[in-house]
Amino acid sequence: MSYLFTHFRIVGALLVREMSTRFGSKPGGYIWALLDPAAHILLMTFIFRAIARAPALGTSFALFFATGYIAFQFYQAMTTYLNSAVRANKALLSYPNVAPIDTIVARFVLQIGTTTLVAFIVLGTIVATMRVETSLHWPAIFEAVAMACLCGLGVAMVNSVLFLKYPLYEQVFNIVNRPLFLISGVFFLPDSIPAPYHDLVLLNPLVHIIMGFRQGFYPEYRAIGLDMEYLYGFAFLTLFAGMLVFTFSSKTLRNE
Amino acid sequence: MIRFEQATKYARTKGIKKPIIEDASLTMNRGKSVGLLGRNGAGKSTLLRLIAGAIKLDKGRIIRRGKISWPLGFQGSFQGSMTGEQNVRFVARIYGVDTEQLIDYVEDFAELGPFFKAPVGTYSSGMKARLAFGLSMGVNFDYYLVDEITAVGDANFKKKCQAVFETKLKDSDLIMVSHSTGTIRTYCDCGVVLEKGKLTYYEDVEDAIRAHDKNMKEN
Repeated sequence: MSYLFTHFRIVGALLVREMSTRFGSKPGGYIWALLDPAAHILLMTFIFRAIARAPALGTSFALFFATGYIAFQFYQAMTTYLNSAVRANKALLSYPNVAPIDTIVARFVLQIGTTTLVAFIVLGTIVATMRVETSLHWPAIFEAVAMACLCGLGVAMVNSVLFLKYPLYEQVFNIVNRPLFLISGVFFLPDSIPAPYHDLVLLNPLVHIIMGFRQGFYPEYRAIGLDMEYLYGFAFLTLFAGMLVFTFSSKTLRNE
Repeated sequence: MIRFEQATKYARTKGIKKPIIEDASLTMNRGKSVGLLGRNGAGKSTLLRLIAGAIKLDKGRIIRRGKISWPLGFQGSFQGSMTGEQNVRFVARIYGVDTEQLIDYVEDFAELGPFFKAPVGTYSSGMKARLAFGLSMGVNFDYYLVDEITAVGDANFKKKCQAVFETKLKDSDLIMVSHSTGTIRTYCDCGVVLEKGKLTYYEDVEDAIRAHDKNMKEN
C-alpha cells in the first residue's frame, strides 16, 4: 500500500515539474500548452472553411474539421509527448524511487488534461458561435477519447523501449506516422471511400476513433463501418504489449 | 543492513562485456561505515549505483534495510529553467519529506541568498554544488552514498559542511568510494575491496587498505 502511495506522490511531483518545465521559460507558462494547439486548430479550421464549400457532414465546416482534428490529437499528441517521457527524464532515474513508469503516468495524466481543455476551448467556441443548435451525445465522445488515449499510451510504451533499443526504428516510425493525419479521416468521411479502399482505410484504428467521436456531435451520422470491437481490441492489445515490453525492459529504460 | 546475495552485474558497452561483480555475497551491517576500494575502472561507482538501486543486477539480489541516499552532491536532476527552490521542492516531494522544512533548511544552508529563487541555469558551478550538498544533508537517510568527497565552497563553507556531515554520521552510515586511502581511513570502520569481479569484505578498514595496496603493487 505504501508502495503504491509512493508512486502516486512521485507522479504528482513529476506532474508539477512537467508543467513548469514544458513552457516554464516563457511568460504565461502552461497557458501556452493550451493556447498553442487551440490557436492552431482554429486557424486551420478557418482556412479550410474558406477553401471547402460544404462539409461532408452537417453544415459547419469548422465543427467537421475540429471534431476530426481533436479526436486525432487525443492519440497523436499523446504518443508524441509520451514517446520521449522516459528519455527526457533520464537524469531523474538516478533517484532510485523514481521508476520509468512514473514518468509515463505523469505525462499521460497531463496530456489528457491538456487535450481535454483544448477540446473544450475549441469545440466550445465553435458550438457556441454556430447558428444551428448541436445536441451532444456524451457517451460516444467519452468512449472515443478513452480509446484514443489508451491506444496512445500503449503505442508510446512500446516506443519508449524500442526507440532506445533500435534508433533506426524511431526514424521508420516517424516516416510512417507522418501521413497518418491525412489517411485517418480528419478531412473526409471513410463512408464515402469506394469499395476496395474502404476496407483498407478501416484497418486504421484512428479512423474508428474519429468516427466514434463525430457520432457524439452528429446524431444523424450513421458511421458505416465503425467497429467498436475492433477498436477496443486494438487499444487493449497495444496497451498489453506496451506493459509487457515495459516490464521486461526495465534495464534498457534505466539506460544501463 | 545491506546484503548482496549472489549478485552478478556485467558492464556492457559496444559488444564488450566485462564483469563488475560476479556471484558476490556479503553483508554490510548497520552502524559501520564502509569504504569501497578498487583500481580505476573496476566498477566502484557502478557498485554504488547498484546499492542505491538506480541500476539493476543481472543476477542475484540486494536486500536493503533502511533508507539509502542518492550519491552525495548529485546535481543531475537539477532542471536549469527551474529555480533552486523548485528543484528542492521536487526532491522533497519524491522523497516524501516535509517540503517547507526542507526548503528552509537548504535555503539557510546553501547561502544562495536571492539566487535561491532564481533559475538554476544562472548558477555558477560552486553555487550548484552548494545547493546539491545542502539538499543531500537536508534529507535524513540511514546510509549516505559518497562517490569521492569533493570540497565545496570557500573555507568557511567547507568547515560548515564538515560539521554537518559529522553530526549526520552519528545516526547514519557511509558507503564511500574514494581513491584517497586517507579519506577512507578517516570516515570508515570497515572496507570492501573490489578486484576482478570479486568483493572482499574486511572488518577492519586497515586490512582493506593493505589488501588494496597489495593489489595495486601486483599490477
